[in-house]
Amino acid sequence: MRILVCSPQVPFARGGAEILAERLTHELNVRGHDADLVTMPFKWYPGAKVLTHALMWRLADLTEVDGRPVDLVIGTKFPSYVVKHPNKVVWLVHQFRQAYELDGTELGQFSESEEDRALRRSIHRLDRVALGEARLLGAISQNVADRVLRNTGLEAEVILPPPQQLDFRCDSYDDFVLSVNRLDRAKRIDLLLEAAAQDGAMRIVIAGDGPDRERLEELAAQRGLNGRAVFAGRVGESELADLYATCRGVYYAPVDEDYGMVPYEAFMARKPVVTTHDAGGPLDVVHDRETGLVIEPRADELARACRFLLDHESEARTWGNAGRALAETVTWDHVVERLLS
Amino acid sequence: MKVAYYSPLAPDRSGISDYSALLLPALREHVEVDVARKGARARGDVALYHVGNNPESHGWIVEQLRREPGVVVLHDYVLHHLVAGMTLGRKDGPGYLSAMERDAGVAGRLLGLGVIDGCIPPLWEVRPEDFPLCGEVLDLATGVIVHSRFVEERVREKGFAGPVWHVPHPAWPPPDVSPERIGGAPVIGAFGNMNPSKRVPQLLDAFERFRESQPDAKLLLVGAAAPGFDLAWRIGHEGLADAVVQHDYVDEERLWALMAGVDVVASLRSPTMGETSGTAIRALTLGKPLVVSDVGWFSELPDAAAAKVRPDDREVDELVAAFEHVTANRDAMGTAAAELSRAHDVARVADLYVAALEESLGGDAVRETVLRELSESAAEVGIGAASDEAAALGQAMDEIQL
Repeated sequence: MRILVCSPQVPFARGGAEILAERLTHELNVRGHDADLVTMPFKWYPGAKVLTHALMWRLADLTEVDGRPVDLVIGTKFPSYVVKHPNKVVWLVHQFRQAYELDGTELGQFSESEEDRALRRSIHRLDRVALGEARLLGAISQNVADRVLRNTGLEAEVILPPPQQLDFRCDSYDDFVLSVNRLDRAKRIDLLLEAAAQDGAMRIVIAGDGPDRERLEELAAQRGLNGRAVFAGRVGESELADLYATCRGVYYAPVDEDYGMVPYEAFMARKPVVTTHDAGGPLDVVHDRETGLVIEPRADELARACRFLLDHESEARTWGNAGRALAETVTWDHVVERLLS
Repeated sequence: MKVAYYSPLAPDRSGISDYSALLLPALREHVEVDVARKGARARGDVALYHVGNNPESHGWIVEQLRREPGVVVLHDYVLHHLVAGMTLGRKDGPGYLSAMERDAGVAGRLLGLGVIDGCIPPLWEVRPEDFPLCGEVLDLATGVIVHSRFVEERVREKGFAGPVWHVPHPAWPPPDVSPERIGGAPVIGAFGNMNPSKRVPQLLDAFERFRESQPDAKLLLVGAAAPGFDLAWRIGHEGLADAVVQHDYVDEERLWALMAGVDVVASLRSPTMGETSGTAIRALTLGKPLVVSDVGWFSELPDAAAAKVRPDDREVDELVAAFEHVTANRDAMGTAAAELSRAHDVARVADLYVAALEESLGGDAVRETVLRELSESAAEVGIGAASDEAAALGQAMDEIQL
């Protein structure tokens, strides 16, 4: 089958959605299909730029390439699923969240002006058309499926993506808590820094880079965390696998995350995850005192949770093993079978 | 955003006043609303006009629409009765002739003259669906809210080029009432005005035949008979005096109780004026399976919740079959009906209203911005306005409803 996987590209930015699209393309090829990845730059501001960039996808003729038909397109993240094809499947990573649940919050984009309000509604309308015309609408998590139902009235099948392939292993349960994330405000790394400030002995390692890094480093310095909070920056696959292999547990608590690969990666390394009740996707697999700890998004609670893991290696080990068993059920065979069904 | 809101309201006794009583509180959760008193003007950033076919209830609303164009909620596609009331009812013969000519050209004007001269029966009584007379309202509308694809298609056929929003009729929350059973089983209920266009003669015929296989069946009729429509005589003539229970006007609470006590709700009509049925919506809320006429909005109900009957020569036969089908499958169809009512949740409907009003206010600016950017980019690479490429751009914008 000739398949095109569609994913937008924000130049110089790379995260879970990009990895997911690349991996899906790879897994389709491994299974004998002729798959390729199609990307287009995405800019969502100012004003109606978000719509013109969506329109670019609509104008891309992917029904055939070089005289040979394309059998299937798979849209992933907004606005790649606006693409037109008689056999379109959407494996939804997320919609344009600024137009939905983030509207009116500090993470929102649209003002109260008449034009911005109408622009937001145009995106709703666009989504109803573009997602509604898909032969199969899948979602990468229950959280994303719930949102799309709430936002558009469309029901999506939850198809969980497996984590990226790393040299997952468990070497030890050392006395540090790991954070793996892009450094932006929605990922709430500052909560971890505040927790470390409340627990004078907690060590944390923060892997990842992003626009919030400078503010976070200043915060760490203000809280006197020098030496106890290590900003590892963007790390390679080998170093990331080492960090997972040796940490005590992993902190992962973005605001209402779509899915979150990190808990699965932590589980593959047999490490428990600390998350929050409002984290969204991670709650599909992080179950309190079964595969990790689920707490209120407050620094004092997070400090207590991390301290518990640091003081109770046995529980950390048990919960990490339970997580591993759960993560192993999420396979690419299942993903491909469903998307091509 | 502040909305100037025009609608009949209590004590006006109409489906649209019930509709607004349900919608307004939910709408006020999102936006400020200034509700116009009958005949007066309301103030807002955008005006919202509920337009139906009754001149008593809606004539003043159309007059306000003439003063200030705005978004129209088209409850009925056929407005012939409204227009006749606003013209002939006010001794304005030329106004009626103009409306007829606008709808049907010179032939329409001549027919209108025939009506005025008494040569032919009033068209609003005999052929209203052929002359909907909604042109003026559509001309004045900056956008139109409809409840069905049926009306949306006809509005487009009339040449309306502005935005059209398909918003479901809101559903009432399930009431806290005890079902009032009338005895017998199964019980079929019909609610609303009793007249030929509600297919009451056909309903009685079919019910009489349905009783051959279901001798304990009962028919509950709730609603006043139209003048000149001798309902009691018809019931007696069919030999159904012991099998039919009839109530004239009942209050809202009793209406719910009676509807909750039936097994199946029949909501029939033909011709349709493009309206949605508040009775059918209430039935969905109560999880009651429906038997409906296969016309207009009713045709769009899913088969899982509603059996549809064409209003043709075989109507009575099909009604009997529909009653048998629905009573045999009433649990599954009732579940489907209750499920469907969630799409009509009033909070969701209010949000769709706000979406429509927001698009009405800022939509042009958004479209202009997108078009400007596209046309500038197209011009820079030599794509002219009349080229195939420009047409493809336009088509893509249409497809994603920009």
